[in-house]
Amino acid sequence: MSKSRAHYWFIGPAVALMILLLIMPIFVAATLSMTDYSLGNSGFNWVGIENYEKLFSRRSYQKMFSASLTYVLLVVPISVALGLGSALLISSLRIGGEMYKAVFFLPVMATLLAMAIVWEFALNPIVGVVNDVLRSGCDKSLIYGLLSGSWLGYEPTTSWYGAACIKKFPLWLGDKQYALGTIAFIGIWQGFGFNMVLYLAGLTSVPRELYHAAHMDGADSAWERFKLVTWPMLGPTNVFVITISSIRSFQVFDTVEALTGGGPSKSTYVMVYAMFEKGVKQNLLGIGSAITIVFLAFVLILTLVQVYFVNRKVHY
Amino acid sequence: MAGIKLRQVTKEYGSLNVLNSIDLDVADGEFLTLVGPSGCGKSTTLRIIAGLETQSTGDVEIDGVLVNDVRPSLRDLAMVFQSYALYPHLTVQQNLMTPLRLRDLDFWQRLPLLGYLVPGRRAKMAKIQEEVRNVAEVLKIVPLLNRKPGQLSGGQRQRVALGRAMVRNPAAFLMDEPLSNLDASLRVHMRAELSELHRELQSTFIYVTHDQAEALTMSDRIAVMMDGDLLQLGTPDEVYKYPNDIRVAEFIGSPKMNILPGVVDPNGQVTCLGFVLDQSLEGTAQRPEQGPVSVGLRPEHLALRPDDTEGCFAGKLTYKENLGSDVFLHLETEGLEQRVVLRVKPHEANLVKLGQNIFYGAEPGKMILFGADGKRVGFSAQQSDGKPD
Repeated sequence: MSKSRAHYWFIGPAVALMILLLIMPIFVAATLSMTDYSLGNSGFNWVGIENYEKLFSRRSYQKMFSASLTYVLLVVPISVALGLGSALLISSLRIGGEMYKAVFFLPVMATLLAMAIVWEFALNPIVGVVNDVLRSGCDKSLIYGLLSGSWLGYEPTTSWYGAACIKKFPLWLGDKQYALGTIAFIGIWQGFGFNMVLYLAGLTSVPRELYHAAHMDGADSAWERFKLVTWPMLGPTNVFVITISSIRSFQVFDTVEALTGGGPSKSTYVMVYAMFEKGVKQNLLGIGSAITIVFLAFVLILTLVQVYFVNRKVHY
Repeated sequence: MAGIKLRQVTKEYGSLNVLNSIDLDVADGEFLTLVGPSGCGKSTTLRIIAGLETQSTGDVEIDGVLVNDVRPSLRDLAMVFQSYALYPHLTVQQNLMTPLRLRDLDFWQRLPLLGYLVPGRRAKMAKIQEEVRNVAEVLKIVPLLNRKPGQLSGGQRQRVALGRAMVRNPAAFLMDEPLSNLDASLRVHMRAELSELHRELQSTFIYVTHDQAEALTMSDRIAVMMDGDLLQLGTPDEVYKYPNDIRVAEFIGSPKMNILPGVVDPNGQVTCLGFVLDQSLEGTAQRPEQGPVSVGLRPEHLALRPDDTEGCFAGKLTYKENLGSDVFLHLETEGLEQRVVLRVKPHEANLVKLGQNIFYGAEPGKMILFGADGKRVGFSAQQSDGKPD
């Protein structure tokens, strides 16, 4: 072998860029998280793990973790289930599948910020179409009977709908009981189309002959064939979809920024929004960086768990 | 065990006719092969029998019962697929148990965990396990029972797929090119094994292949299909010796039959490449009509001649294909587009050189005439009814 150095020239630029653009920022953030640096200051003080101590002790940050986790636990299962369900339904269609795909994928393609403004109007307690529609059902006995449960023999005023008809319908984004749920609903509405596309791709890779074999073996109902063929064969897709959905849900920001600003009373104070508020709005780079590092750790752990514990079981 | 009947079965995909009125009568315990080039409709026919596809018109009968509207699992057939179609997440044992579980356990007994509490499950599972064990022993796959399909070789997967078909003890086995994913030597080995299995099980086998060698070696009868038509149904010997269509003649046999242009004159004599052929065509009942015909000659029915004697063709040797036991000589003949192939013994082949002009003649009585429509001329009713000899 000659002592050629060409290989350094081949991998050098790629490695340099990777370090500069991907790895360095993490180290910078990790370093900053140990300081009280603010942008524009000439110097900073080392504060050790004080920022992290704050993160795990103060109530507002506890609310942040709980908001983020609740959001993830709401959005991931529902958007994954809806994605799978719609993919199964669409793939069983002979005609019209393309149209459904396009329609369900529309929210994924749209700018979430623009969509958030539309939702803000729709959910407005006074002029919004959502409460308008709900209110208009109160004096129609058919809808009222169905939604309030009075047809099933329940006392109508004890049901959510019956009570809301008497008093008022919720301030979807202004009530801390509903705000996070509403944000999660928008997240699901926006995200399940993406999961659907991933599942559709996964479904095309299931060999047709396996379904034929299942038919021959006596898996007569669609549910039996789903259990015997579809679900196991979708294993790798499941892992991917759940990982991607979790990461995307942890990253939720635009709807919170546009609709609630983290409120009311920090009920929608999710991690990325907190990062933005501390690090950018209030120029507290230290605590902002600390949140970033914790966020990164969460996502990393989540990914590693999926790769090492779940992935092993889905590749046969 | 059961006979299977197809009556005027057709299949259309939109405006495309895949099957044109197929009539087929498979006897109980018979090994019948559907053979033809890809796209001829043989797999579609098999899937229609299985119930995985519905025919456009016509009837399918199994054991005398009309099954047009019967779902696949209730037709009591088992199928072996080209890709084996084993469930990759289940072990071999679980794969073999699947058809029995689905047939013998009810919905509640199949539930995970809860199923164990349903009465009667334990006895049924014990029976299922015993049946699986028996089949695994017959196929010699007992040591593989705890592996997953991904850990098996092609031949082992093939056996497992066979096993999954066997455990239910079905009325008939349907096989869709089961050997085409195996390597050449294993394929030859499995041919023999499948034939033995058929003899042991005494069950009806319907076997689909594009490989005419598999069809000839294993079957009781062969059904040659092309372009959605069933061209000929007969024993391997019949189909080889008396192909009733020029397409069958060219498809069955390797290397394929030599087709030479010929003319029938008003006296009924056949002239081919300038020579008058001898008239004693084997099995010919009627004299061919006047006009152009195709003369079919198998490579083994042509022989080298030492010199340019009477009734002798000439050609230039362009290629020697040495198979060890035999040598195929490829000859270019003037006035012929395709090459003529001769099958000779190695010591004969040693006498001729590439580029040399050589003389050859046909064995008397072995040639087959095809009319302008591609049908065999002088074709007697005896050989066309498709019954074994």
